[in-house]
Parts: sequence; C-alpha cells; structure tokens
Amino acid sequence: MAAEPRPALQVDGVTRRFGAVTALADAWLKVPPGEFLTLLGPSGCGKSTLLNLIAGFLEPDQGEIFIDGALVTEVPVWQRGIGMVFQNYALFPHMTVAKNVAYGLAARRVPREEAARRVAEALALVKLTGMEERKPRQLSGGQQQRVALARALVIRPKLLLLDEPFSALDRNLRGAMQVELREIQRSLGIATVFVTHDQGEALSMSDRVAVMSEGRIRQVGTPEAIYRRPADRFVAEFVGDVNRLPARLVAVEGETALVECGACRLSVPAAPLAAAAAGTAVDLFLRPEQIRTAPPGTPGLTEAVVAARAFHGDHADLHCDAPGMAQRLLLRVPGHAAEGPGARLALLPDPSADAVAFPISG
Amino acid sequence: MGKRPFLGWFVTPGALCALGFAAAMAAVLQYAFRAHIPGSLEVGGFTWANFEGMLRPLYATVFLQTVWLCALTAFFSLLLGYPLAHALVHARSTAWKSVLLVVAVTPLFLGEVVRTYSWLTVLGNSGFVNGALLWLGLIDGPIQFMFTRFGVALALVHVTLPVMVIMLAAALSHIDRDYERAAHSLGAGPVRSFLTVTLPLSMPGILAGTGTAFAWTFSAFATPQIIGGGRVNMVSNLVYQLGFSSFNFPFAASLSIVGLALTAAVLGLLRIGTMRLERVGT
Amino acid sequence: MTLGPGLRALQVGLRLLVLAIIGFILLPSVVVSIAAFSDRAILTFPPTGFSWRWFEKALTYEDFQQGVRNGAIVMLLASSIALVIGTGAAMAIDRYRFRGRALLQAMLLSPLVVPHFTVGLGFLILAAQIGMARTYTLVVACHVVLVLPFVLRSVTVSLRNLDGRLEQAAASLGASPRRVLFTVTLPLLAPGLAGGWLFAAILSFNEFTASLFVTAQRTQTLPVAMYNYVREYADPSMAALSAIYIAVTALLLVLANRFLGLGRILGVEHGR
Repeated sequence: MAAEPRPALQVDGVTRRFGAVTALADAWLKVPPGEFLTLLGPSGCGKSTLLNLIAGFLEPDQGEIFIDGALVTEVPVWQRGIGMVFQNYALFPHMTVAKNVAYGLAARRVPREEAARRVAEALALVKLTGMEERKPRQLSGGQQQRVALARALVIRPKLLLLDEPFSALDRNLRGAMQVELREIQRSLGIATVFVTHDQGEALSMSDRVAVMSEGRIRQVGTPEAIYRRPADRFVAEFVGDVNRLPARLVAVEGETALVECGACRLSVPAAPLAAAAAGTAVDLFLRPEQIRTAPPGTPGLTEAVVAARAFHGDHADLHCDAPGMAQRLLLRVPGHAAEGPGARLALLPDPSADAVAFPISG
Repeated sequence: MGKRPFLGWFVTPGALCALGFAAAMAAVLQYAFRAHIPGSLEVGGFTWANFEGMLRPLYATVFLQTVWLCALTAFFSLLLGYPLAHALVHARSTAWKSVLLVVAVTPLFLGEVVRTYSWLTVLGNSGFVNGALLWLGLIDGPIQFMFTRFGVALALVHVTLPVMVIMLAAALSHIDRDYERAAHSLGAGPVRSFLTVTLPLSMPGILAGTGTAFAWTFSAFATPQIIGGGRVNMVSNLVYQLGFSSFNFPFAASLSIVGLALTAAVLGLLRIGTMRLERVGT
Repeated sequence: MTLGPGLRALQVGLRLLVLAIIGFILLPSVVVSIAAFSDRAILTFPPTGFSWRWFEKALTYEDFQQGVRNGAIVMLLASSIALVIGTGAAMAIDRYRFRGRALLQAMLLSPLVVPHFTVGLGFLILAAQIGMARTYTLVVACHVVLVLPFVLRSVTVSLRNLDGRLEQAAASLGASPRRVLFTVTLPLLAPGLAGGWLFAAILSFNEFTASLFVTAQRTQTLPVAMYNYVREYADPSMAALSAIYIAVTALLLVLANRFLGLGRILGVEHGR
C-alpha cells in the first residue's frame, strides 16, 4: 500500500464555542495536496467558524489543526503560511494594486527585485498586467477579486482559503470567475478550502464538498456522492431540490434496504436505516428529475394533480398536489412536455433513480 | 409644495439662527476696527490701532504661548487618545466597551469649571499629588504645579481628551476589520499591520481630532484662568480681562478676530492635509 | 494562539497604558469626590476626617441655588429650541438640495470651532449694539447657537440610519407629506432626537465661557456661579458640588448608553 501523501490540511476533532453556543462541534477533516474542498452550509452552520479556525483568527476550545503536516493550533495567523481571499476582498484602499500584491512579500522580507518579479508574475497570472499603479477603488468588482487572488497567491501559501469570494459579484461575472479561479488553482496545484452557502457553486467547482449544519460536518464527499447519496436528511434537503414521500421499510439486505411507496418497491442504501425495524414508516427522498409521469391509473408511487407549471427553456417544473401529502411535489419534465395545470398524473420512479430513505425524525 | 415638502418650515428657523450667529461675528469684526475711548463703553471711529497694539511683546508672547499650549495639548491628547480609542473600538466584551466609553466621555459633559476645579484638588500645594508624595516621604516640600505651564497643559489635555477619543474612535470604527485580518493572513504581525494598515487608514481621524483639539484648547478659558492663575495666560484670558477689567472691547474684539483667523488657518491646513490624503486614497 | 515574548510584553504594556490613561481621566473626579467629604475648611491630602457639611453648605448656598434655577431655565429653553431648529435644518440639509445649503450647514456647524469666548463676546457686543440688556433671551440665544451643532449631528446620523423606503411605503399608502412626517419619520427618529436633546441639555447646563460674557448677576448660570465662588473661597463646598455633578453626569451617561446607545449617537459604533 502506497504511503498516504502528507495532507495540506488536517483538522482533528476541533470544537469551538461562543458562550453557550457551540459553533463547531468535533470537526474532522483532511485535505490532500492540490484538492479543492468546499465547506457548504446555510448561514450559521459553522463553516465560517471553521475557516477562521483554520486561518487562525479564532482559537479552538478542543482539537488540533495541522497545515502541511505542521501543528499550527497555537501558531498566530501571520506565521501560518496561508493565503486568504476575503468576502469583500479587503484590498488595502490606501495602496496601489502593486503594493497590495507585494504586501505579503514585504512582510516576509523578500528582496525588492525578486518581489517585483513575483508581483509581475502574479498579476500576469490573473491577467491584470498594466494595472499596477491603480488604486483598488478604480477597479471593477471582478478586477478587485483578481487582485485579492494575486495577493493571496504571490506568497506561495501552503493553503489557500476562500471566504465566499463570489458573493459580491453579479451573476454573469460569477460563472466566468469560477472557471478561471479553478483553472489557476489547478495549474498551481494548491490545496484550497472554499466557503460558500451556494450549493450550485459548491457542486460545480469542488473536488470534494463538506456539507455542514448546526456546527457539525454532516457529510464529506465528491459533489456527485453528496448529490446522489446524501448521508442524512439535512444533506438531502439542502443540496439540490428533493421530494419527500411517505414509505415503509420492507427489509434490510446487507448494504441495501427495500422500501415500499404506493405500488412501488425501491432499493435504497441501508446505512441510514440501520436502526429501523421492518414495517416502520420512513421518508423516501427522490430528486425531481428522478420521477417520471404516466397516465392516471398506472400503478406507481402516487397520483397527483398539476397545480402550477414553470417553464425554464430546456425543462419545465411541475408543482403537483398529491393526496395525503402536506408538501407539494416537484417534477422536472422536458420543456416540450405538455402537462399543464389541472392535469392528473400517476408518478413513477425512474428505473435508474438513486433513491434514499431516512427514518422519520421527531 | 412639490418634491421638497416643508422646505421653508425646515430651513427658516435654522437660517435665522445662522443669521444671528453671523451678526454676532460681524459685530466682533466691526469692533475690532473701532477706536477705544477710555472710560467709556462707546466706541470711536475706524482704526488699525488695535492690530498694531497686538505686536507689543506682552500680547505677542501670550499669542505664542497660546499656540504652543494648543499644539502641545493636541499632540499629547493624540498620544493618550489613540490607545484609548483603539481599546474602545477593539474591546471584545460589551461591558468593557461601555465602561471605556462612559469613562472616556464623562469629562466632556462635566464642564470646564468642575473639571478645572477638580485638577486644583489634584495639583494644589496641599492637593492629592503633593499630599501623596509628602506622605510617602519622597519630597520635603510641595512641588509647585499650580500657576505653571505644565499644570495648565496637563489640565488642558484632560479637557480635550474626550473629543479626541470620540473622533479617533469614529475613524477607527469605520476601518473594516478585514483589512487587519488580511494583513495578518499575508504574514504581517500586529506591529507591522498596525503601522502599514491601521495607522494610515486612521489618518483622516488623526487630522480631524488634532484640529478639533487645537480649536478647543484655543477656546479654553477657565483652565488657564484657574490653574494658570494669571501667570500662564492664553488669548481667552486676555480677551476677558480687556473686556471686563479695562472695558476695552475693541481691543478684545481684535484679539478674538486674530485668534479666529489663526484657528481657521490651522484647521484649513489640516483640511488640505485630509483632502490630499483622500486624493491619495482614490 | 501563542505570541512571542516580545509581542506578549507589548500586549501587556498596551493594556497597562490604557489602564493608566483611564486612571488619568478618572483621577480628578475621584480626588475631588474624596475632598468633598473633608472635615476641614482647607483642602488637604490625605483627608483628616469625614463630614457631610460641605454638601449641606453647597446645597444651601444661595448663588448656587440661583445658578441651578437659571441654568435649568436656559437649558430647557435652549435645548428644546435647538432640537426643533436642528431637526428641521438636518432634514433639509440631509435630504434636499437648495440654494445656500452648504452655507447654511457651514454656518450652523461653525460654533464647534469658533472659540466660545469669541461667541460670547460677539453676542455681548451685538446685544449692546441693538440696545438689549443681558436678559435670559440673550443667554438662551447664545446657547441655542452653541448646542445646535450637536443636535444637527445627532439628527443627521439618525436620518442616515432611517430606511427611506418606510416613508415611501407610507406615501404609497396615501399618506400626505405631513402625515408621513408625523406618523413615520419623527417617531423613527425619536431615539436620535432624544439623544440630541440630552446632549444639548447637558452641554448647555455646563457651558461656561460664553455664559460668562453674556450673563448678568441676575441671569448667571451654575458654572458661572461656581467660577465666581472658586475665585473668592477655597473651602470644599465646590468639591461637594463637583462630586454631585460628577455623580449625576455619570448616571445620565450610563442611562443614555443603556437606552439610547451612546456609541451610536457619538458615531463610534455602527449597527451591523
């Protein structure tokens, strides 16, 4: 077995409380070199706390943090060798672009000539050559972000931290910057921890995603794994749209379990249902695109009536009412499909559907 | 009424007030160029004599002493005010923040007389400092603080400190904390990040605070009057003496006008400094 | 985090420095309060005994009583008038563009930097020129001018923090400008107005230098009476009065901080 490479970041059982509130509870994380890891969760989930703990702006109550194999729990921010891009970039308003980028080099006492060369390289990397003498206020939002990135990268950090860097950009620019950032990150091979509450951003950019809520890391995995095999009810509901249907556990057979919903039987991962006995009621989760429609009367999950239809070009969303269900069901059908409000449908699971089920919680 | 409802109602009283103030200032200006008739409250015709009289060593010295005291006071209240304002803005617990805030601004609302009298009990020959030093056996006889420039400057710093703290704290609280955090993340320790980031960004507050401290010190009357006891005089004391002892209101007015011009010049210079800073910031 | 020994020392040093500065600020107030309980007619340290007699004397001294009465009259009138004038002016200056706006703003704020003895002298000469005696009217007019900048600032800060959409919402619901002003704008400004009024009142009650010029024996305010007392007598009655002053002012500020948010009124704190 090959030796595991030394992780760029390792978080070992870190807990942080603010007064009576536990902002982060027993977090464990390993980021191998070159990986782009995203901390995803709603506001107040602890992702910013974790990022601030990694950066050193906060100290953990328990646990240890290692950067590039070195224990840094007690090391102050300025000696951790990190690069960070802040939400509003925090470009020093009284310094030029070049001075901003050179700031970390000056703090490290890099000789003037080498510093000038590295600043020029960093600005070339983010395509801002020629902007050296501008002040941050004279730059557009996208340009400011590039400067912030160049400033964080020029010091050759062991770890790059990104705190919701796209939230201040408008939608059109955001997509382009995401692609560009990822390209730069990959070409430099620098391990990166990225914080966001935008699940689309998280799924499209990351090598792996850590989904967080209420101070806990709920699941760490590739974007696909997070989407298709959520580990718990929170992850299933937070990442992507999902429908919850009432079902019954039939049997557990090794890794998979069999659940029954309406006239259908589906196999789901057994792990979340380990504690449930056969026959108990469970919640079945199905993505909107994993439900197919059929003429009424076809045996399926349930029957439903279309209440509203929202057209999105390549597809359309159908919001349906089903008897006995408090929540509306969401179906994603091709844009040319004809079902409109009032249509009566039978719903069937897609044969290739990755369904998951969880015990009904209190 | 259109898009500016109540404009007249809003502006007229304020305009009247401004007009009244302008009239008072105009009255001072007018008196400054009038001849003094000894023994009379009436004033004579137009003259430059008041301004010429100011060049006499007695008055010139007081002017220089005033400017020197103002500069000294502004400098030392900046020196003491900055750490306090920094501590106030960066206080972690709200209780500590409230304590700092109330302590810092309470003297502002005590008024000059109470504050100056309090310093009398501290600095007097049988006051707190001398009493403590004598009791400890460190000195044999009282040290003279009263009627000295040091005593006056000390009390003046105490008077201007709250304004300085408020202006500095306002400037510091407007600096986004992320700038400091960014500096730390780039490898700058607390000293470097303070000198290269926080201090330059608080420069407008420093200039505003220094200017205001200068103007306030110039305005001080009770402090030099009581602590200085006639031996450390400032322009304000001279103006009062001339007005209420000699009834030479024209001369008092001309002193006021020159003092006002001086204050305006200092504030103007600081304003230019601030504007230059802001231009640098764009 | 663990700091190097140099930084640790610096941190401790800074903390001690802040404590020393606080000590410097508090020292006179503490000393004068101790002196107030002295049993001797001359200030001495350390005090030799304890008595309440100077409080008794201060509270029954006629000039002080008269000063409090005069000061209260001037304070109530000046700060209330300044509040009305300042609120209107702040609204006009902050929200409207009109000819002379910058001039008006500069004129109303300028008493902040014009020495108080110059203001006092100006009002005194002006009164003499128009043949007005040194009446309450003169004192109140002078105080209104002096405290107006503080009201203006306080109201402007509150106006900036006010969500303009609330007024637009009221107007869209059919409220006339007058109704919007009295049912939405002013109630929302209330804390700022209260803060501005309180500041104006405290400053007016304590204003000394200009008052010395514009008050007569009959209209002298408390600080003027205190100043005259200090010049003539050396007994600790003034210390007793100062102690009361300090206690009341500190209490007012603590209350203002609790209920109005001192930091926000002074502009050293911002709501997030």
